[in-house]
Formats: sequence, C-alpha cells, structure tokens
Amino acid sequence: MDAGYRLLPFLFRRLGDRELLVNEAGDFLIEPAGTVEQIATHRLEVGSELYKDLAANCFVADNPSPMFLDNYACRIGSRKAFLNDSTTLHIFVLTLRCNQNCTYCQASSRDANASSVFDMKKEELFQAIRLMFQSPAAGVTMEFQGGEPSLVPELLKAAVEYAELLNAEFEKRITYVLCTNCVALTDELLAFCREYDILISTSLDGPEFLHNSNRGKADSYANVLEGIRRARVCLGNDRVSALMTTSELSLQYPEEIVDSYLENGFSGIFIRALNPYGLAVEYANRKSYYERFLVFYQRMLDYILRLNSEGMFFVEEFTALLLRKMLSPFPTGFVDLQSPAGIVNSVIVYNYDGYVYASDESRMLGAIGDNTFRLGHVSESRAKIWAGPHVRRIARLWATEFIAGCADCAYQGYCGADPVRNYSTQGDMYGVRPMSFFCGKHKAVIDHLFSLLIHREQEVMPIFRSWLSGRRS
Amino acid sequence: MNCDHLFSPTSNDNTLFVTAQCNNRCIMCCQPPDRRDDIEMRYRRNLSLLENAPKELRELGINGGEPTLLGDRLFQLLEAVHELLPSTGIHLLSNGRAFSDFSYAKKLHSVASENLLLGIPLHSDYSGDHDEVTRIPGSFDETMRGLYHLGEFGIRVELRVLITRYNYRRLRKISDFLYRHLPFVDFVAFMGMEVTGWAVRHMDQLWIDPVDFREYLEDAVLTLSGWGMDCCVYNIPHCLLSESLHPYACQSISDWKTEFSADCDSCRKRKACCGLFRTSRKQSRALAPFLA
Repeated sequence: MDAGYRLLPFLFRRLGDRELLVNEAGDFLIEPAGTVEQIATHRLEVGSELYKDLAANCFVADNPSPMFLDNYACRIGSRKAFLNDSTTLHIFVLTLRCNQNCTYCQASSRDANASSVFDMKKEELFQAIRLMFQSPAAGVTMEFQGGEPSLVPELLKAAVEYAELLNAEFEKRITYVLCTNCVALTDELLAFCREYDILISTSLDGPEFLHNSNRGKADSYANVLEGIRRARVCLGNDRVSALMTTSELSLQYPEEIVDSYLENGFSGIFIRALNPYGLAVEYANRKSYYERFLVFYQRMLDYILRLNSEGMFFVEEFTALLLRKMLSPFPTGFVDLQSPAGIVNSVIVYNYDGYVYASDESRMLGAIGDNTFRLGHVSESRAKIWAGPHVRRIARLWATEFIAGCADCAYQGYCGADPVRNYSTQGDMYGVRPMSFFCGKHKAVIDHLFSLLIHREQEVMPIFRSWLSGRRS
Repeated sequence: MNCDHLFSPTSNDNTLFVTAQCNNRCIMCCQPPDRRDDIEMRYRRNLSLLENAPKELRELGINGGEPTLLGDRLFQLLEAVHELLPSTGIHLLSNGRAFSDFSYAKKLHSVASENLLLGIPLHSDYSGDHDEVTRIPGSFDETMRGLYHLGEFGIRVELRVLITRYNYRRLRKISDFLYRHLPFVDFVAFMGMEVTGWAVRHMDQLWIDPVDFREYLEDAVLTLSGWGMDCCVYNIPHCLLSESLHPYACQSISDWKTEFSADCDSCRKRKACCGLFRTSRKQSRALAPFLA
C-alpha cells in the first residue's frame, strides 16, 4: 500500500470538475477531480509529472528531511511575518463630529456643530500616543479618523508634533494618514500635511448623483473633488487615495463607478461592501444585499479586467490583496483578513472618549452600549490593555487555524478570523460559518478568482502579476 | 576553466581556480572533478596571482571544483581579495551545499561585502530530478537550505538554471517554484549548455537543441520577470531565442571560449550576441543570421 512517499498537511476544495489543493504556506495546485483520493490512498506513481508537481510544492515528500522541513517552516513563518511587528496600525478617533451625513455611516457621527465633548481630550490623546510608542514595531502608522478629523486641526497638529517629539527617542518609522472626506481641508491644514508627509485617504463613491445620494448632501461630490484636486496639487498625486463604499444604490452601477474613478485620475479602486455596524445595520435584508454585492463585484471586476486587457493599468485593490495571499509567498498587511486576526495583533483604536478598542468596528459596538471589545482606557498600562482579560478571551477564537468551519476550509490561509463580526452579526464571538455573510462573501469572491485562474488564465494572469509586482507586462 | 592564463583587465574572464575537487558529480560537468588534494598548492598559487593582479580588474571569478571544500581557507582567500582588490566584483561559483551549515554561512557573511555574488545552480523544482543530475542524494535539500541561510544573511545570489533534456519541459514550473521559494535571490540566469567534459559522455541524456525549448524558455522567463524578479539568459545566441527574450540575453561566454560561425558575419545582431562555445562539441541545428 505504501508507495514510498509521505503526505504533508494540505486542505482541498472541489471547484467544478477540478480539485484545488492548498498547502500550509498557501501554495496551491489545481488538479483533476480524484487527485486528493489518489494522493491519500498512496496510489500516486512516484516520479510521474503529477508526483513531481506535488513534491515540488510541498504536498508530498519522498522522505521529508529535517532541512526540507526547516525550509518549509521558513516559508510558513514568512506568511505570518506580520506578527513579528506587533501592532502597527494605530487609529486615533480625534472627534465624532462630522460635516457629512452618509446614509451608511458606521461611525455614529455627530453634527459638525455639536459640543466639543465629542472631541478627544488632548491629555488622553498624548497618553494614547505614549501607548503607541510602547509597541515593539519598528514602523507604525498613525491614522486619524472621525467623525471628520479635519474639523479639529489643532488636535491633529498636536498629535503629530507630540509624536515627532517622542520619536526623537524611539526612532520609529512613522507613517501618518489623515482619513478625511476632503470637504473642509484648509490651505493651512494642507501645508501641515506637506510638512509632515501626511497621506490623505478619502472616500469617493462614484458618479455625482450616486456620491451625493450616499452622502446625504447635494454638493458633496463637487466639494470632495475640489478637495482632492487641492490635496493633489499640494501633496502630489500619489499622496491621495480613495475608498469606495458600496451602498444599496451603488449595486446597480459598477461600470459607472469605475468610470468616475478613471475620470478623476485614479489608477485603482478599493471595492468595499457595507459593514453591518452603526446605521448600516438598519438596511433591510442583509442576505439580499450580500447576494447582490457578489454580482456587483463580479461585474465590476470583469469591467476592470477588460480595461486592463485594453492596455490600461487600473487595479482593484481588494482583489489585489486576495491575489497577493493566493499567488505570492509574501505576507499582506490587510488587517480585515488575517489569521491571527488583525484586531489587537495589527490594529488598535483609541476612541475620542479615551477608551481603547480592538478595532474600528469594536468602537461602533461601544457606541450602541456594548463594551465587549473595549479593552481598556488610555490611562492604563500596555500590558493591561494588550494582554488583559478581554484580549485573552478574544484570543481563543481569533485564528482560522482553530475555529470550526475555518480549520478545514481550503481558503483558511487566504481568509481571516473576525470575532467582532461574528459577535455583532451572530451574537457570539465563535460564530457559525455556514450562516456567516462574512464567510459566504469571502468564499464566493475567492471561488470567483480561482475560476478566473482556471478558465481565463492566459488573459488574467499577466494582469494579476502586474498588479502585484507593479510591472507592466 | 584554465588557471594558467594571466589576469587581464580587458578580459571578461579572470578566474581563480581553487580546487578540482567537488562534492557533487553532475552528469554534465564541464570541469570533471579530481580527487587529489590540491587545495594548499592552489591556495598559495592563487595568493601570488592576486598580489600581481591589476587593481582595475572589474570582476574576479572564483571557481572549481567546489570552492567551499576549502573550508575556512575560502574566507581567507576572500579577505585577501577584499584587501588587494577592494573594488573588484567577486563571482563565486558554488553548489551552495556547504551553506546548509548555518555557522559556515555566517562565516561567509562576516567576510562578505557588496562585491560578492554567489552563482548557485538549481537543476529542478523537484528534488529527485536535481539529485539525479548531481548524482548525490540529498544534495537538493542541502542546496536549498544553503540558499535560505544565504538569504537570511542578505548575501547576493545569482540562481543558475542550466537547461537540459532533464528539465526543459518543467522550466515554467521551475519559474513558479523560484518565485514562491526563493524570491530573495538577486536574479535568475537561465543557461544554455556547453557540451564538454562529462556532458560529452552523457550527450544523449542531456542535449536538447535550444530551438526545441524556445517556447518553454520564453514562458519561464516572461513569467518570472512578470513577478518582478530579475532574469537573464546565458549562452544562447539571439537566433535561437524568441524575439521577446532578446533584452534578457547576455554576453555570458568567456571571451577566450567564444566563437562565431561564418554565417554570423552577416548577422546584424552579432554585436549584442553571446556567440557560441568554441569548446562545445554540439551546436544547434538552427543557427540563422538576422540579415539586414
């Protein structure tokens, strides 16, 4: 029975008449149905081309030597290298006040003229910055969010100047990101951004009628574009990026949304589905939304692939992140899709009220009175926040490697665990995968990408490679 | 390679031949190994060659045999090169197996400078095929482990894929393997074969006319390059390559080994072409000049 080879751990999934095999390092092979059984029952012919493919890709081994296993361990280790840095993304919610009125707002924002109790207190901001510097990461990103952080420019300046002051001692690489709707960017604020090399991350939902409808303001599109234009002039084109959120209305306009990004000088788009938080929870019938989102995603990706085939370089960033996990040997810094989860391990949120949350989504639960993911207060020690009772409880469930429905999924290495999403949508952190929209959406998207690799390889691979390497082919 | 010719700044091949011994037994070896202990004798001779070498030497090769069989003597030799020829690039050819010993790799790191480039061959993505070529079971795992250690120390590596009848059908798979397993090497060289030494004896097993692997090679190079890894093609004349690979083709053949056929005189690509191995017992059937 034993045909002289050993099996190494791998996961598999049926895709049409093929089988997808994925190893521990995320390497995959697509083979005819029946291959897995042939491997597992030792009926593989040693030395056949299939055997060579499987051995070269660490699915089987003649006789796994310690040296081979050490190399394989290096490969797996480098996939998880994001853990070496500890928390790198530090989000500061400088204020809850906002000057827009988005239909899908996730941040429980308040009116722009509301009281300053919705702004972060300077002393607590400084405490948060001191906590950030205790992170062992050699490089950190300080991301300023809201509400609309440009409404409190003095806090933003104080934060950057304080970080620069402390950094004379800590010598970390600091990346600053200002998440702003670009409506209220003053010349003074832009000059400050230029002085400290601050990146602008903004939102643009598509063509004028759609963007304005999503924002609940008739003049938002014109204001945002004017803000983007001025930011580009002051900071450079590559210093301004935009995110797009898919409202229910957006679902009907995939091509128009891409066109609006092209018209406005962007070389890529980040497709984001609605989160089931904050006001967004009030959208009726989530199931129908996610089903329609998948159709929308496929249509938009198809359109983008067509543009690339015609010679344009335009990236869909969410797809590119997944492809990086599937096709490259490198780790990705995408905190929404990580195992162990991005929360705490890679991202932490300092809220306007001085409390520390596991993620952006966690503080939105906090806003409706649920403090399950409130890890502590900025006045507390790093040990108490990062390794306190809350984190210990969450940590038992935050890796796809050991939760049911993920541990045996072929996409385990490409996907991520999200205890916060499980809790907010299913009532417990563990979650039930077959009923999870998070799971359903990612499975469907990854299935779609593999089907492109199977059926349209010649056409899509040069495009995908160019997205990952930045090299035009 | 010939150890007796004197160093010349105008030559592209100035080499220290450090030993004829080797711990692999590659079936296509163009410099079949010898078992005699020649290390001390050659070490002394190479030191005196170095002392008389012109300072403006652009590149110095170190090869054998297997230079790591010198043990710590190799590091003393490298230190002597750094001292006497501080601005000369060093191209060390090795099978890399010795670096599977972490402490040996670490010692190399302690004497290595940016000038050092290791040329290390890998014959397949499948260990069995590689070991069949080297005729040493386990050599693939050792070379791979060595490459990982060199990567850990940031030592520059030229990964060499010699194209033979054994591996030409898997060239694309080898590219995929290199991107996933060895993305840290500096560049990958796909190499045409010189039929000399043991390769003559094993010609039937080894020889594949470059014109017959043209498409395989094109796919392998363009794929790997598409992933952002630097690639080049050695020892294959332009007329045997797909047009798309011409930018990757290098003048890789040592000047004293290079020849051109009579037909090459009329070829407009001759200036950029590597030409042919004068020393090879087999040439392609498909050589054809690009006429103006």
